[in-house]
Amino acid sequence: MTPTAGLGLKSQHYDDAVACDAAGLWFEVHPENYMSAGGPRLAALEAVRARHPLSLHGVGLSLAADANPDRQHLAALKALVDRFEPFVVSEHLAWSTHRGAHQPDLLPFPRSRAALVRIADNIGRTQDALARRVLIENPSLYLPLKGHDLDEVDFLKALVAATGCGLLVDVNNVFVSARNLGYSAEAYVDALPAEAIGEIHLAGHGLDEGGSGLLIDTHGAPVAEPVWALYRRLVRRVGPRPTLIERDDDIPAFQVLMAERDRAASELAALEAVGV
Amino acid sequence: MSELLDFQDAFVAALDGAPEGLSPWLGPDAGLAGLTVYRNTIAKGCVDALAANFPTVLSMVGEEWFRAAAALFAREAPPASAALQGYGEAFPAWLGRFPPAEALPYLAGVAHLDRLWTEALFAAEAPTLSAEALAGLAPQALAEGRLALHPSVRFAAFEAGLPSLWSAARAGETELDLPARAEALLCRRRDGVVAHRVIGEAETEFLRACRDGQPLAQAAERAALADPDVSVASLFAALIADGVFGGLNLETAR
Repeated sequence: MTPTAGLGLKSQHYDDAVACDAAGLWFEVHPENYMSAGGPRLAALEAVRARHPLSLHGVGLSLAADANPDRQHLAALKALVDRFEPFVVSEHLAWSTHRGAHQPDLLPFPRSRAALVRIADNIGRTQDALARRVLIENPSLYLPLKGHDLDEVDFLKALVAATGCGLLVDVNNVFVSARNLGYSAEAYVDALPAEAIGEIHLAGHGLDEGGSGLLIDTHGAPVAEPVWALYRRLVRRVGPRPTLIERDDDIPAFQVLMAERDRAASELAALEAVGV
Repeated sequence: MSELLDFQDAFVAALDGAPEGLSPWLGPDAGLAGLTVYRNTIAKGCVDALAANFPTVLSMVGEEWFRAAAALFAREAPPASAALQGYGEAFPAWLGRFPPAEALPYLAGVAHLDRLWTEALFAAEAPTLSAEALAGLAPQALAEGRLALHPSVRFAAFEAGLPSLWSAARAGETELDLPARAEALLCRRRDGVVAHRVIGEAETEFLRACRDGQPLAQAAERAALADPDVSVASLFAALIADGVFGGLNLETAR
């Protein structure tokens, strides 16, 4: 079965996920949540994996840190890759670990040429350790920084060229970052290299409750209509790609998420029909 | 030092409230609202993880108190790993030193028991030793055998009845009292579920002897010494029924 549209797997939906037999359905998890010696979470993931394709989407490798990826973390990730045989492994263009402390967020950095070399090296080390290609996701951004030698799309293209990695395009992150930092989301998605894109993310965002006017990538709401429009624009150009609905906060019933997932599946099916 | 590391040092300092060092990387009209977004996300990630790992502490002090305390702890002791189900090893001891918790002297102990429960949940898988596996053994061989604890077994002893208080809070009871007697708590995961029960000094001594690699005869002796009134045979049978043992090593040489 070819994975079409998938869902981020939440622990409250394990049984629903095992029972669901929608065509093309796949699931994605953060491997960090399964980095334990044993326990029921791993058993539940085995049950889901026995029925559906799985993607491992890392949030903790800190590829944009000025340090090699943590060896223990890589070993734990490799063990999960070997055990669950995911069809995709992905990580973020961001850092979270700094001098031994882990900040549970995906933090920004100046996209300098020196940073490019460092991050390409980290992606190369990761791919070597896992013995497979990884996809790199564009982050959501909140702070305008100086010191960029390359814009984000050119930086991602350079990483693809240097390491052979692929891209995970988070369309909601494109929308949020473009709005927060004041550039064109359409121009961004139009510039992405089609052949490198291996997966697409869709999620909901919200306006900062602190009153800053910033849009925040909350994963706490349905996908917004302008994000659907941006998604359609992207897939009509590049063709169908496995597409994930992410929801991590204010999580509704499984069927509610499946309805959003089915909408993504319909968008993909419509592409096939017109031969994109 | 690389510019990337310089930037990350400055960024982390800015998260901690000292944004001056970040100015080389900030545009003239860059507000710091974005920094607040990152700071809030990091704090929420840490606090949510602690709330998941210490649910009994949370239920006893309430959401507001817990989140404020957890946020302070997270700033002092950020996670060392991205696998946040292991976060908070130092939280029980930190609560014991946290001045606002002075009125709740049992809180550190409750956190300690939450921690044991969480450790049991995520411990390695292993077979469980059944009563049948022991049934055919000669008494002498059994007495000299060493019982290995299942990897998910956790236990801790207290001078007062914290385990009873914790168990009641865990069961959702709100009328909590702290029995004066010494107690211990035993946790063990079985079929994906962590079971726990309050145990006495004899069982605790028996488990300690097994943990220390002593033969069964010595474990029985320690249990009997701890509580002369206890039936060691029924105590042992109950622990087997709990699924506390992972295996039996019959080699007598150490």
